[in-house]
This record gives sequence, structure tokens and C-alpha cells, in this order.
Amino acid sequence: MNQEQNSTMNYIVDQITVKNQLHSKKIIKNLAKFDEAYFNRANDFLKRYVTLLQNEGKTLDYSIDCYLQMIADVNYESVQFFQTGEYTSKSFDEVNQRVYNNPNVMEYYMHGLLLSQFLWTHHYDILLYFNKIINQNAAHINNYLEVGGGHGLYISEAIGITGAKANYDLVDISKSSLDIAKRMISNDKVNYILSDVFEYFPEHKYDFITMGEVLEHVEDPVALLKKLNSLLSDNGKLFITTPTNAPAIDHIFLFRNADDIRKVIHEAGFNIENEFSIYSEDMPAEKAEKYKVSMMYAGVLVKK
Amino acid sequence: MERNEILKQVNAIFVDILDNESLVLTDSTTANDVEDWDSLTHIHLVVAIEKGFAIRFSSQEIQSWNNIGELVDCIASKK
Repeated sequence: MNQEQNSTMNYIVDQITVKNQLHSKKIIKNLAKFDEAYFNRANDFLKRYVTLLQNEGKTLDYSIDCYLQMIADVNYESVQFFQTGEYTSKSFDEVNQRVYNNPNVMEYYMHGLLLSQFLWTHHYDILLYFNKIINQNAAHINNYLEVGGGHGLYISEAIGITGAKANYDLVDISKSSLDIAKRMISNDKVNYILSDVFEYFPEHKYDFITMGEVLEHVEDPVALLKKLNSLLSDNGKLFITTPTNAPAIDHIFLFRNADDIRKVIHEAGFNIENEFSIYSEDMPAEKAEKYKVSMMYAGVLVKK
Repeated sequence: MERNEILKQVNAIFVDILDNESLVLTDSTTANDVEDWDSLTHIHLVVAIEKGFAIRFSSQEIQSWNNIGELVDCIASKK
């Protein structure tokens, strides 16, 4: 890592090491495998994020504390998960009360998630996969939709790769998430739409829809995928990501393995054109299975 | 429950979860001293300790221990 170029990343890792030694071991180990391209992207993202913090009168230290609070939540939820085999939240109403309608929790959770984008390094592998898929489909994308795009990374990549020539819509049910997306996306090509996707009825169909890490937040993922199916053009493609075995304060639907995810996809009237998955910890598959490590699944779906 | 007995039982749990027969814990052992004790294995250690001692830890407690001595003290306070 170039010390000067990566001063923000170094500072974050140093502070996490001081405040949570156990967690820093994972971060340091995972970051060690990445090259300059990774840190260039991370620095660009962190630069925009630090500006966002400054505009809110907040500091990076505040954000690091938010991140570690989120990690404390994840650890506690993980212990419950391994004790019971289930996520603690069972309904959207429960999560709404516990998280989405709880400003204190939402505040640290949103900042924690933003900081996690380049600390949880499997996110980067998924982002590279997304780039490959967008590159393959760029010529056919005239209408692009993203559902739930808080950190703005995917839609920013899509705009860059498609040459900003398409129509780009971003639908999010949460105003605070949409506000963050507006500040993280350095492009005026995006139409921001505050809406529950189930109540979203655009006049046109989309050639490409992206929905990253949303399925695990709903009670009925089949219904959500069916809705996206109805928004997609006949030859359109849907890119989704969702994790298995990933306890968190706002996760409801538990996918125990990739087959659980594929079942839901097929029930919603999709075929899988391409897929990719990666464990959230950098370790051999045998060890990952032993510790039931969460796996991030990404799929490119087409209508049956 | 004797403090030494708790430490002995904690040691056995660490040996089992981390697959490291030669592990010898003391009050001053930290995560820096044990290569495979990281955020992932910590969760499995906590789960095994909760089961082994029939106790429950709070969210804050799971994060709070700086060394094995503090973990043993926390267990002792619940027995």
C-alpha cells in the first residue's frame, strides 16, 4: 500500500486496530491481497465519503465508531444465529421498528455500511463481476434501473461503462438512503425516485435492473423478484446480489446456501444466465464451510 | 466455580474451536498471541463458551475483553 496515497485507509485500519483488535486482524489480512487498482477505487470512494461527512459536520473518527457499533451488532446477531440457526428478525414490521424507524440506529448503521464497502473485501470481487457483466451488456442498455442503491457504487460504474448514454433511474424506499446516494454519486444523469418498488409503475420497461443486497431484507423475495420481472423488457437482464448465512439487525429472509437462492429465482420466473459467488472471509472453502462463513451470491437473471 | 477451573475449561474450548492442541492460555493472552483467534473464530468461541458454561453474554460483553483474564472474570461473574 502506498502510504501517502492511502493515508485515509491507513488511518481507518489503525483506528480499528486500536479500538477492536480482533476485527482488525480480519481487515489487515483481507486488505493484504489487493493491488493498486483496488486502493485507487477505495481512495476515490473514501474521498467522496469524507466530503459527505464534512458536509454533515462529522469526522472520520465518528464514522469509524459507527462502523464498529455495526460490527458489534453483527457479532451479537451472529452469536444468536449460531445458537438458534435463525435470524432474530422475522418480519418487515419488526425491522422497521427496530432499525428503519429508529433514527439513532439508522444513523450509525448507514455510516457503518458505507465504510464497510471497501473494508469487506468480497464486496470488491462482486463489484468487478458487476463491471464485467455491464461491459458485456453495455451496447443494449438504454434504460437502467437500480433498486436500493445507498452507496451509489453500482450505478456509478454502470454510468461510466455505458458512457452515460442511457436513462438511469434509482428507486429507494428510504429517504435517508436516497439522500446518501445523491451525495455519493458524482453524476447528474441519475433520476432519484423515492418509492416502494412495489408501488413503482414506470411508463417504460428496463433493459437492465440492478438490485444489490435487498432480497434478504424482505419477507417474500419471490414477490419482489416477480415485481422486477414485470419491470424488465423481454430481453432485459436483472443483476442481483444477496448473501447466505449473514445475520444482521435488518436481515429477515435466510438463504442457507446458493440452492435456496436459485429456488427463489426460478419461482419468480427467471432463468440464471450467469452466476458468481464468494465467501466473505479469505480462507479455503473447507474452513469456510466449517465456520458457516457467509457467502455473497451474484446472479444475472433473464426471463423464462 | 473456581477461577482456575474456568480458565482450564476456556482453554479446552479454544483448543477445540481453533484446532490447536498446543494452545496454552493465561490471563495475559491476547488475540495477538493466538494466530487464528480473529473476529470470525471469536463468534464461534463465544457460542461454545455460552453453551459450555450455560451463560449468555450481552452485545457489549462480546466486544469488551482485551485478554483471556477479562474473559474469565466475565464468566466468573455469571457463575
